[in-house]
Amino acid sequence: MAGCSFRAIWILTPHHSVAFSRTFPVVERRWRSACVRDGEVETQAPLPSDLEVAAAFTDRKQREGSARGFGICVASSTPGSDSWVDDPVTRHIITLHINREEAEGYMLWPVIVHTSGNYYILVLPLVEPKKVREYRKLYQRNNCGGSVKEHDNLSSLLLSLPCITGAFMVAHAIGDLIAGETSDPEVVATSSSSAVGGLLDTLTGSIGIGVAPRPKPTSVPILASASSAATLMGSTLVDSSRTMTKPIDKDLLRGFISGSMPYGTPVDLNQNNIAAIRTTGFGSADPPPADLRQPAWKPYLYRGRQRVLLMTQETINAALYDREDIPDSFSISGQINCRAELEGLPDVQLPLIGVKPAKVKMLSVHQSAQYSDHGEDKQAIVFSPPVGSFVLARYQVSHATNPAPVKGFYQLSLVSEDGGQFLFRLTLMEGYKSPYCMDFCTIIMPFPRRRILSVDGTPSVGTVSMTERSIEWKIVTSGRGISGKTIDATFSGTVRFHPRVVNKSLSVSLSKSVLGCTAAEDSDEERESSNNSVNVEDVLMEKLNRDLEAVDLEEPLCWQAFNYAKVSFKITGGTFSGMTIDPKSVSIYPVVKAPVEYSMQVTSGDYILWNTLARSPHAAVPKDLC
Amino acid sequence: MPLTPFTIPQIALSDQNLVLSPPSDVNLREIRRVLAFLLDRPRDLTPGAISVLTSALVDIADALEDCVPAVSALLKVNFSSLLSSHNPFLSHSILSLYRHFSEAFNEYDIGKVAYRLQLSASDTGQKLIFRLLALHWLFGSTLLTSQVSSLTSLPGFYPQVFDPLAVKAKKLDAISVSASEGDGAVSLLEDGLVCISYFRWLPGWSTETLVAFRAMHKLLIGVMPHDGSDNGPGRTRLGSLMESTIFADLENVLIHLALEHHPLVPVIATFISRLLQCETHSPIGSRFLQTLDRCLIPNLKPGYGLSFYFPLLEKISENETVAPKGVLELLKRHMVCLTDEHGPDTGHRSWSQGSRVLSICRVMLKKHKGSQIFRPLSLLLAFTCQNFPDLEVRDNARIYLRMLACIPGKKLRQTLSIGEQKSGLAPAPLPASLIDVPPHPSPDLKKSTGIASYIHLERLKPPLVKQSWFLPVQGSVPALSNGSGPAEGGIMDIVTSVAPSSPDESNKTDSSKVAYQKEASRVMDPNTALLLRVLRTHFGCIPDYRVMPGIKIRIPCLLRFESDPFIRTWGFESCDEQTLPALYAIKITFSTLSKYGKIPSCRVPFLLGDLLKSDLAIVAVGQGNDESIEHSNFAKVFLELQPEDPMPGLIDIFINANTATEQVVSGFLRPVTIGIEDMFLKAILPPNVSDMWVSRYYSDLFDTLWEACGSSVNIGRETFPLNGGKGAVSINGKQSVKFLEVPEDVLINAVERHLAGFVVRVAGASLVKVVQQNRVIENIVWDEKEEEEDDLDVGPSGDDFSAENALVAYSREESELDVEYTQAEMESNSNDRSLAIVDKKKSVGNICVLIFLPPRYHLLFLMEIGYGSTMVRMRTDHWPCLAYVDEYLEALF
Repeated sequence: MAGCSFRAIWILTPHHSVAFSRTFPVVERRWRSACVRDGEVETQAPLPSDLEVAAAFTDRKQREGSARGFGICVASSTPGSDSWVDDPVTRHIITLHINREEAEGYMLWPVIVHTSGNYYILVLPLVEPKKVREYRKLYQRNNCGGSVKEHDNLSSLLLSLPCITGAFMVAHAIGDLIAGETSDPEVVATSSSSAVGGLLDTLTGSIGIGVAPRPKPTSVPILASASSAATLMGSTLVDSSRTMTKPIDKDLLRGFISGSMPYGTPVDLNQNNIAAIRTTGFGSADPPPADLRQPAWKPYLYRGRQRVLLMTQETINAALYDREDIPDSFSISGQINCRAELEGLPDVQLPLIGVKPAKVKMLSVHQSAQYSDHGEDKQAIVFSPPVGSFVLARYQVSHATNPAPVKGFYQLSLVSEDGGQFLFRLTLMEGYKSPYCMDFCTIIMPFPRRRILSVDGTPSVGTVSMTERSIEWKIVTSGRGISGKTIDATFSGTVRFHPRVVNKSLSVSLSKSVLGCTAAEDSDEERESSNNSVNVEDVLMEKLNRDLEAVDLEEPLCWQAFNYAKVSFKITGGTFSGMTIDPKSVSIYPVVKAPVEYSMQVTSGDYILWNTLARSPHAAVPKDLC
Repeated sequence: MPLTPFTIPQIALSDQNLVLSPPSDVNLREIRRVLAFLLDRPRDLTPGAISVLTSALVDIADALEDCVPAVSALLKVNFSSLLSSHNPFLSHSILSLYRHFSEAFNEYDIGKVAYRLQLSASDTGQKLIFRLLALHWLFGSTLLTSQVSSLTSLPGFYPQVFDPLAVKAKKLDAISVSASEGDGAVSLLEDGLVCISYFRWLPGWSTETLVAFRAMHKLLIGVMPHDGSDNGPGRTRLGSLMESTIFADLENVLIHLALEHHPLVPVIATFISRLLQCETHSPIGSRFLQTLDRCLIPNLKPGYGLSFYFPLLEKISENETVAPKGVLELLKRHMVCLTDEHGPDTGHRSWSQGSRVLSICRVMLKKHKGSQIFRPLSLLLAFTCQNFPDLEVRDNARIYLRMLACIPGKKLRQTLSIGEQKSGLAPAPLPASLIDVPPHPSPDLKKSTGIASYIHLERLKPPLVKQSWFLPVQGSVPALSNGSGPAEGGIMDIVTSVAPSSPDESNKTDSSKVAYQKEASRVMDPNTALLLRVLRTHFGCIPDYRVMPGIKIRIPCLLRFESDPFIRTWGFESCDEQTLPALYAIKITFSTLSKYGKIPSCRVPFLLGDLLKSDLAIVAVGQGNDESIEHSNFAKVFLELQPEDPMPGLIDIFINANTATEQVVSGFLRPVTIGIEDMFLKAILPPNVSDMWVSRYYSDLFDTLWEACGSSVNIGRETFPLNGGKGAVSINGKQSVKFLEVPEDVLINAVERHLAGFVVRVAGASLVKVVQQNRVIENIVWDEKEEEEDDLDVGPSGDDFSAENALVAYSREESELDVEYTQAEMESNSNDRSLAIVDKKKSVGNICVLIFLPPRYHLLFLMEIGYGSTMVRMRTDHWPCLAYVDEYLEALF
């Protein structure tokens, strides 16, 4: 079946009523004829109504524990449920059972689920009926689980269905649209401190398309991984309606859908392009260039003052243990954002400096770009820039040349069940000279399951504030960034909590659904389980951990099970990895005189100081990387 | 009518699948031009368009494979670089080209693709779903998988601390896929699991735990995937898997987890049951359970902490391949422990834990063969229903015990399965209709004949006298069991004031005579009055079996059967050589002509056959097995007699039992012989006799009875009411002598061995010395006087009959016994003295033996022990017994 088309798109509210739906009769007709061809009679049923979809979604939520489902085979999984397939991807590619009163029910697969702004976006791509049959086999298998070594496993099924990937792209695009986000990356012009807006501000600004700059990572809730929006969307928004749900701009959505995927087949998912075409169309002012092929993804050519803005943005994820048995781990992911305001269709060559020493792994580049790696220090990216801001390349660094910007340790000793002593000893920006500048640095000690009564202690630097669930220590406040000097910061004190209230019903219900057992013996277990632990803290932690909730598969770990401090900072003026771009050596063909502005910024992602005195999660390092 | 452009050729619109002719050269040239045009422009297309293009290319290339060979070469040039785009949709479209035109790409290219996907999976800037999809794509193609399965690329799959759990899970999958190819799989997996190693301290429902166990499961099924097609290689693979280090290492991991982190036990149970439910992997699950049974159960301690392990114990109990002994013994110890530790605040815990244990027992009952579980389970249940502090648990235990004991295995399993759907902690007792054994199929008579040759009910201690005869003396002691006669066993009703002194028919109605006798008894000399008081006290203790439970005699017997002939007759479905046949719900009913009252039938719930002969040889070598033979393969049965007439007799035995195959075994076994010595009991002690006076009391009682039976005192017409207040008896004594020509030490030994409990007095210094030295007979009256004149005066006994013909004298004339009695008494009185004097020098001493014969009779021996021979003087108020006593005494030596 050629290409990638969609039979239907539904958008469900947090309360599982259909807020928006769109079906594509052309695609549906193709589906029918494919069914007839393959002799699949039962799958020929017409698409479900909005009500039926809502009912099926609710039904699945009840069956699978949450809107997304378990994702992994649990004790309560039965054949004929997504978790039976035993793969985390079934939290994203789901099956809906449409039950009909007058006719026989049927199975709708694959339904892509994406959540955005509290809405569930469901996309049903067109697949061959025989693929549905293959999945049904996995879905109702009568043995204990699939292995990739078997024929017709889930992986090969997914590999053979690019339309599923396409459906995710569409779902994300729609998600961004209804959440009012743009997928434009941030590019900061060094000449003016404000972020540069999205594409075609002049064209689209008047009609109020939300092309606001991307929110800064520091505003992300402390427990969520701030490094990317991906983990956020998966986890924190699921099943929660604590934030206000923004009503859907249906006109905008309809316009986007008809523009980006006419007749259900996606053409271009760039909402800026679609919006621009929709509002301005193509006039005589935009004749296609005669001598060059204009790419489809660049419907308009830039006209105006020419310049190139470049920015490297690095995120450090770090786990600091300060222990001999566990080495500290750092992982740096970076990206080069670009906004090339160049007329015509030029090619730009971007030489990269310091790729080899930093052992940079180039993960991916923009569609228009090619990465060339020749010799010791001849790495460059050649690209033909689209209009607007875009991510030129993404890379990963396994071996940073700079020292950690925040070093030190955090110790928390729980003296009793309702109180503890803590100690920080940190060194900031050691070994960093100007122009590196730390804009801000904040340390947050979250206690998500305790209510803090009081904090005693004064830090050597900075200020301490307290919320109900966390303690925040601002070492470097924005506006008073530090540059060219090292800061030693210590903070010791005590924290006291309100007495703990155990919420047992939750853990009981969880253990029932996941383990398939009753927790009737809890009272027995509580008394006996302390035997294995040696010290008081372990006992206390174990006690606390007993009513932990299971985290979603989108989370990296069960944060609540640990005591840690999370460091947030932003450093400008350089990169952590050491890989940079020399703005002077950027060459543009055909040659034009255009200034190249380059900025660098390092932000913290999951930069965690684990409590040195307690257990902490870590990962094994492969031996040949040690 | 659909609108179609008129330029479309008609052939495209027709429904028929027309066979198209191969394209002409012109067509081909056109097609090539179109393809070249498209292949030149992938960079200018949007991802959506490229997707359409690639799928179109695939279709075209499929159709024109031979005609347009250049396509794949062009693909490589124009599309390869797009793979590194960070638009996953684009990457996927390109990947599908790789999939279809794999021959166009060399190994290096493919390796690069695999590496690219591996990187995308680690790209923290990428959205989660696309990282997951990248891993799926990588392992969806065997071509790519082969590129990353080598150990060198494994580091790329090591999960990072901050990878989302979904990615961790998929990366662990990747590791297990790669690891299952080579050695050291578990260490690789363990390395991978480090990133979620803290799952050990998290609750069992945590996502980390799920991910960890999923990884172990994936490793197992990675080594041995399900493919229904090839069963043959699958089986051999199973064997090699179980021998492999992967498996052993995994077992160790599980045991360690179970021991160290008990909150994980339910998860381990779930893990194993998932394997068990799978057709391919259930042997692996069973193997895990066996290992746990072997390595974990012995290390568990009973106590409240054991409750963590119940889910595993349940799984082990459910599995038929694991011997239930270990679990049951652990549970028994646990119940003992719970009972010991029970206190005022443990009520609920005792209940909940006890119920859990019972639910495991229930599973055992359902899943295991009765022969395997019977002994340990019955011990456990018996202990529970007797001692467990919680009432409900006790009750349920009793029900289970009854079910175990009374319902044959197959039926029991069916019965328990009925309550399945409403399984609770402790299932409610089943309705009686279910427990009732349904009507038996008619017993197979043909098979049942001759069961006596291999089913045996034997006395634990055979009688001394191998008596093959017995004397049903109908007339002598009217003991009509139908109760029509007013005097049963010589007991008369007091209500009518009739107390016939003898059971003779003539006396029954002679009420006036009795009344006279009663009055007459009131005028007696003080000596006689004392005598009467002792007798009244004594008889007042004897229960009147007609109105209250009489005195019972329990004779221990063993029921056993031989396996070999049993199997030959009844057949037996044996799953292995070791299993023995079994009988279920055995009911043994007894019948006899003798007056032993109603003998209650016995029930034996379950009985294993004797060990098979082939096993006996092995058993003989190993001493350790002796005990099990001793204890497991017979049932102890008590014959409970309530004699109305203390006589030897034969008891017929009828057996009714079920076999495991639900056949009914029924028939007569060899009868059991009851000897006279079975009737020997100690006299009943009145409640007001204190311990220190017991020996004295017995001694006095002996003297009194001796006298009463000797009838030197006229108490022949006296009646003595029995306990119960309704009946009374009179004493009608007879005496006899028996000369035993045995040395005194032999006699003393025999007495000590067989009559020790009945000796009430030993007289004579030398005799006392000997007997006291032996320390067998104790707590009696020791009379060390040399002269026994006084004693003999009280009850001088002896007659002029020679010992050999003593019996003849008694059996000679029944009707005139009374008369003869008096004569004999007078004669003996005169001769006794002389005899005693004559024998005096030879005498060592006397032993007085008082035997109570139920329901109310007595047998007295006065053994005058001399050097080389002994004169036994006997007196009794139940003369028929003398005939047997004679034989008995001879059999003593």
